[in-house]
Amino acid sequence: MNAIYTGLELRRVFRDYVSMFFIAVLPAFFYLIFGAAQEFSNERAGNGNVGMYVMISMAAYGAVTATSGIGGMAAVERMQGWGRQLGLTPLRDSSYVQMKAVVAVAVSAIPIVSIYLLGVLTDAEGSVTAWLLSAMIVLVGAVVFALYGLVFGLAFRSEAAVGAASGSLVVLGFMGNIFFPLSGTLLTLAKFTPLYGYVSLARYPLTEGYIVNTNNGAVTHEELWVPLLNVSVWAVIFAVLAVWLVRRGRARQ
Amino acid sequence: MEATTQAPAAVELRNLVKTFKTAGGEHPVRAVDGVDLTITPGEVVAFLGPNGAGKTTTLDMVLGLTTPSSGTVTAFGADPRRAVAAGRVSAVLQTGGLLRDITVRETVQMIASTFPQHSDVEQVIARAGLTSLAGRRVSKCSGGEQQRLRFALALLPDPDLLVLDEPTAGMDVSARRDFWDTMHADADAGRTVVFATHYLEEADSFAERIVMIAGGRIVADGSTAQIRSQASGRAVSADLPPHDAASVLATLRDMSQVVEATTQGHRVTVITSDSDAVARTLLYQLGGSNLEIISGSLESAFMTITAPARGAGTEQEGSR
Repeated sequence: MNAIYTGLELRRVFRDYVSMFFIAVLPAFFYLIFGAAQEFSNERAGNGNVGMYVMISMAAYGAVTATSGIGGMAAVERMQGWGRQLGLTPLRDSSYVQMKAVVAVAVSAIPIVSIYLLGVLTDAEGSVTAWLLSAMIVLVGAVVFALYGLVFGLAFRSEAAVGAASGSLVVLGFMGNIFFPLSGTLLTLAKFTPLYGYVSLARYPLTEGYIVNTNNGAVTHEELWVPLLNVSVWAVIFAVLAVWLVRRGRARQ
Repeated sequence: MEATTQAPAAVELRNLVKTFKTAGGEHPVRAVDGVDLTITPGEVVAFLGPNGAGKTTTLDMVLGLTTPSSGTVTAFGADPRRAVAAGRVSAVLQTGGLLRDITVRETVQMIASTFPQHSDVEQVIARAGLTSLAGRRVSKCSGGEQQRLRFALALLPDPDLLVLDEPTAGMDVSARRDFWDTMHADADAGRTVVFATHYLEEADSFAERIVMIAGGRIVADGSTAQIRSQASGRAVSADLPPHDAASVLATLRDMSQVVEATTQGHRVTVITSDSDAVARTLLYQLGGSNLEIISGSLESAFMTITAPARGAGTEQEGSR
């Protein structure tokens, strides 16, 4: 583990104000608007209240924005020649991936910590287990979306594509039941989209799988295997795509 | 005599071949097509050749950035990857990317941190003439400044072999001169330097040895003077007596050493591989006067030597 390199990488990300806005400020703002400021925020939800439900969702959104950006930029910077520069050093590919992973985790911790702090200040409520476990799941699960960014970076080889990948998470967020509680057919479809499993897992310590239909108040239960399967399948899809794209890049060399 | 006790060659290439699949698929392109080369420590060697001659691909294999399709490559007797990891081999890459959003100093610090042992960061920045720019973002540096930064990065491991792939491409004249001044100072310290270029004057003024590459093969290898003389081109010119120009030309063209003879007014110009013989004939037999011998330019040597390979290249492509 190369502390100097990792430190400089972190400084790089923190200095990128535009990215930091989308990673930390925007999701925090969303939480305040759609969570803390709403009347329903104090209503009960599983082991806590609705405010906490929205808090977890927004932290998850911020965390995946962070990791997809870092994964995508890693692909682009390597293909734009930094990889050749690093090829002239003793640095191994595995160390590079390791450092990027540390940076990704550190950066995705920013929205998690800041939004959870806002949650504390604005009366988000939940059991201690729900607080800790949901934060852990948001942090670890976000790594899957580093692969999502990586795939975009490898496929389109430009910084703009990485920006588009992070931006597309807003759409996937709606489709994945993050921003707006879905029901009926839309909810059924949502279960096949990549962010659904991740955010459902993160909320699981709070909801224990119970979903409230916001239209008629009906409560349904979802088994744990549904979000787990969703996350696993998408992780495999992203990983296979990334490996295939790396191979294609090598053959073209 | 010394061969048995000598240190391993700085670079040793044996029957090196690299093929690439083309977009179409069926016929792989042989970018490097059987290169044999030994570079001994301390040499300053220029790889000279037209674009697409295989210079960059060959150097990539020396640096372990690409693996050969067949043949062997070693640097100081070791696998190139290991020589690079040990800091013995470093390079200024033509297409080496830099991170645009960090500063010059941060770039040097980053690369330095990957080496267990490296030269002092500030010292390297000073040697590359970047001290006044150290706090500047890479994106705000000119092409020449970025190239000096790549040079600074290459100096970090204090390598025994420095590879420069078209180091001055895209620089203006004064930036090029500055760059080579820095390099001169550095090569005098006894480092082995191998650089690729298509600027003939760079090869001429900086290298002791020139390796000409065309069509993936070495077409000439020798000192700058040797390469020059390989051009079928020393030009011998002389004034002729006013009569008989036609028969003089016929005599000259019959000589086996003469490549070409032309007249302009009373003056004849002969391109020849043996200027002495032509000069004797002109002075003693043909009544020539005001004799002048001009040694061939490196440029004409380059054209003459690489022409067959370039021709063969296009022919092969045409037949496919």
